[in-house]
Amino acid sequence: MSGQGLEQLVKMVNQISANMHGATDEQAAEKVATHLQKFWARSMKAQILAYADDGGEDLTPISRQAVEKLREVRAAG
Amino acid sequence: MLNYYDPRKDAFSRDLGTPARLSEQQVALTIDGLEISVPEGTSVMRAAALAGITIPKLCATDNLEAFGSCRLCAVQIEGRRGYPASCTTPVAEGMAVTTQNGKLAKLRRNIMELYISDHPLDCLTCPANGDCELQDMAGAVGLREVRYGFEGANHLDAPTDDSNPYFSFDASKCIVCSRCVRACEEVQGTFALTIDGRGFDSKVAAGQDEDFMDSECVSCGACVQACPTSTLMEKSVIDQGVPEHSVVTTCAYCGVGCSFKAEMKGDQLVRMVPYKGGDANHGHSCVKGRFAFGYATHKDRIKTPMIRDSIDEPWREVSWEEAIQFSARRLKEIQARYGRESIGGITSSRCTNEETYLVQKLIRAAFGNNNTDTCARVCHSPTGFGLKTTLGESAGTQTFDSVMKADTILVIGANPTDAHPVFGSQMRRRLRQGATLIVADPRRIDLLKTPHGGRMLHLPLRPGTNVALINSLAHVVVSEGLEDQAFIDARCESGAYQAWRAFILEERNSPEALEAVTGVPADKVREAARAYAEVHNGAIYYGLGVTEHSQGSTMVMGIANLAMATGNIGREGVGVNPLRGQNNVQGSCDMGSFPHELPGYQHVADPAVRDRFEAVWKVKIDDEPGLRIPNMFDSAIAGTFKALYVQGEDIAQSDPNTQHVQAALTSLDCLIVQDIFLNETAKYAHVLLPGSTFLEKNGTFTNAERRINRVRKVMPPVAGKEDWEVTQDLANALGYPMNYSHPSEIMDEIALLTPTFTGVSYAKLEEHGSIQWPCNESHPDGTPTMHEVDFPIGKGHFAVTEYVPTEERTTRRFPLLLTTGRILSQYNVGAQTRRTANSQWHDEDVLEIHPSDAELRGIRDGDWLGVSSRVGHTVLRCRISDRMQPGVVYTTFHHPGSGANVITTDSSDWATNCPEYKVTAVQVEKVSQPSQWQQHFQDFDRRQKDYLENAGADATVNEPAPMGK
Repeated sequence: MSGQGLEQLVKMVNQISANMHGATDEQAAEKVATHLQKFWARSMKAQILAYADDGGEDLTPISRQAVEKLREVRAAG
Repeated sequence: MLNYYDPRKDAFSRDLGTPARLSEQQVALTIDGLEISVPEGTSVMRAAALAGITIPKLCATDNLEAFGSCRLCAVQIEGRRGYPASCTTPVAEGMAVTTQNGKLAKLRRNIMELYISDHPLDCLTCPANGDCELQDMAGAVGLREVRYGFEGANHLDAPTDDSNPYFSFDASKCIVCSRCVRACEEVQGTFALTIDGRGFDSKVAAGQDEDFMDSECVSCGACVQACPTSTLMEKSVIDQGVPEHSVVTTCAYCGVGCSFKAEMKGDQLVRMVPYKGGDANHGHSCVKGRFAFGYATHKDRIKTPMIRDSIDEPWREVSWEEAIQFSARRLKEIQARYGRESIGGITSSRCTNEETYLVQKLIRAAFGNNNTDTCARVCHSPTGFGLKTTLGESAGTQTFDSVMKADTILVIGANPTDAHPVFGSQMRRRLRQGATLIVADPRRIDLLKTPHGGRMLHLPLRPGTNVALINSLAHVVVSEGLEDQAFIDARCESGAYQAWRAFILEERNSPEALEAVTGVPADKVREAARAYAEVHNGAIYYGLGVTEHSQGSTMVMGIANLAMATGNIGREGVGVNPLRGQNNVQGSCDMGSFPHELPGYQHVADPAVRDRFEAVWKVKIDDEPGLRIPNMFDSAIAGTFKALYVQGEDIAQSDPNTQHVQAALTSLDCLIVQDIFLNETAKYAHVLLPGSTFLEKNGTFTNAERRINRVRKVMPPVAGKEDWEVTQDLANALGYPMNYSHPSEIMDEIALLTPTFTGVSYAKLEEHGSIQWPCNESHPDGTPTMHEVDFPIGKGHFAVTEYVPTEERTTRRFPLLLTTGRILSQYNVGAQTRRTANSQWHDEDVLEIHPSDAELRGIRDGDWLGVSSRVGHTVLRCRISDRMQPGVVYTTFHHPGSGANVITTDSSDWATNCPEYKVTAVQVEKVSQPSQWQQHFQDFDRRQKDYLENAGADATVNEPAPMGK
């Protein structure tokens, strides 16, 4: 996916993080990861994981944690 | 096969004279010696009708309260003096009524004689000939002479008002029975008609004695239906004569899902008459469903399949076989080259449940991926997400009739009198009975101007601050001790509730703290919260003003929280009610149109669910969600998504950020559009498959109250195939076998695989008329009210709803907020209504702007205004309106050339990507010419229309050229 598509995905995950709430950041990140796993297409997940691998500089802290959790969920599943 | 439905066999075709009474107290009486027992409060006329005895009448009809003006229904009652009118006389225990004797016959003949002395005797050439109650009554009373002659003062030269495009008002035929006036008041609630003058001079007048079109009349047709003569008459009947048979079917406009009798002459539709037996509309209608059906036979209908290799070429008319083979070959080539996930499809929220089910099945089974989505993505996807999270089911909780038991009605971001008019009329009826109305909306909508309504509160919030408002309402409920603790303890999850309660009680959620955000004075918020929470029954109705925001899903959850906290769930008169936009948005969501859910909202990642589908579909189902519409667009532009099959949706007009959508569509190697017209999307297509209208197919629609209604075929499809047959052909061509011979077989498969539909079948629909899902072993006759005992997730879940302001905010460059909406006479992208006389009410989209914003810019009513946002620029005509608040402008998107969606952005709901149509920061200035986009649109539109007009069967090109754009 091109830069523009990726930019959109980063914006989306950050927006989800801003709207998902938990008692701790860890819990919030957990919810965001579940949301991504449940609603995002395979190609979108692959894109955001690759982006995080490359540093993922525009991800907010909770988004960054969430993407790492998503990686664990996918490795486990 | 046509399904003929004989209304003569139908109980609802009889007019019982006065409305039903619902008392449980029965009263026994005798009528002409027959014993009968009826509910207390029933009129003698209705009791007689129920006993099978017909009393002559003119001014009475059973959808209006009795009026007692014609006196034709006089009867004699033992022990009472004179000849009381049976319509206004309630039954009494032991009453003995005589409906026919010599005295009564003489009296009735005298009355008819007076009527006929001032009525034209042109029955043979009258359009109501054969369908006239005056004529029937003259026969029934045995009128043989008119002793007064016809020479005296009369109204025979009274003029005809032909201003309305659909019906005429011939005052010379009027008997001043007031049925039309009362229908406008009681049924529609507009109060546009009145009786002007007194005695002999009295006449029916519209508005301030003006033409119907110039008056407040909304052309709902209730008066036409009520008229016993040909005074108010459909022009189609005047032109074509009285219909000879009728078929009951379901309207294909909004989510109310009205039942209509399609009245026919052969396969010609003469008129649509709202069906009294319809549980959603009870015999009422609006200008769209009642009159705007002419599009079905419009010359623009696509009648032949067409293909082309590039969108810069003319269309080639081909056979169905060739079009289907061409499509299948293209799709297979693209998948071979770009992978299984490079193609997808969009199901239609206008087509039937069966058709929608089949398209998503085609995608999941024949395409082999989950790249399916539907237009609910851009309207009510947050409803699905929000209600499923909190209440456990993605649907509204009530019937429409439930509103008649509501004490306070809270309407948020919805405009029922325009977008759901028949339900809007029912709401107004309840408001006239004294219910309190609260409207949370940036605009002062017409519901707030309900004549004879009760207490009305308007919370004019700033666009984009819904969540702040709902939080402050909930804060008042909790902090002022207005919660229903018993309900919360019994029905809701305790931990989540405690977390939510602590959150909502924080001072930052108080109306005082949020006043600066929402713009709504804190005392008004407190007043509204009390008005909702302190009554026995508080009901919430909401629309796209809730969902189409960056926090659409959060807002839906906030609404559910408020309803749970006040115990307003699980009985009649309360509930959380999304007003669905299109006729079958509920159905398209139910049928598995979303990329992550199989039919019945069953997630694709659940192996048990997939097992059941795989066993029946005999194919492996992908366990990962597919792309949503906006993701498809992004992937298309990125070059990874190459082909799209779109059934009955116009994404190029209805989706936001038009230029982005156009770029995405232009990037596709193969776009297959199945539609009844060359819509905006089809102009970018390589294959155009003719669609069929609701009049040309069998199936079902599911309305906003989860009601499954039958759609019945009344005429053959213009291009020979119903939409489901085309999808089936495409599946077969792709090598995935489908062999349905009737939509009922598709419904049987749906029932087999969808736990909430287990009990649904066409046989049961014939028997019950309609069914509200869930319909299964525990609810064999359906479920009018949801969550009566528990929630599908067990306990209700309170969700913390933090207000996060949208990133789309005003700046110095874009200082105004644009919000978009709909109007009564047009429907959605307007493809249907623009091709009817409805355009006489709304022939262009205009920009509504507050007088102070207009003055600041030197703008006058009717000026051309350039509207710019960060993504685009368009030009609209100005209408100065004080319905707006300063700083907010408003438009509709019914006409493609207005480009309303050129300015809306790609901002969307965080959970579902539902676009933020309701908030766009814009600047407005006076201009003298159309925008660049509009000029480009006009050129492109002209070119594509030429390609269509010049389409021909070109025998020289048999093989498609190599793939290109």
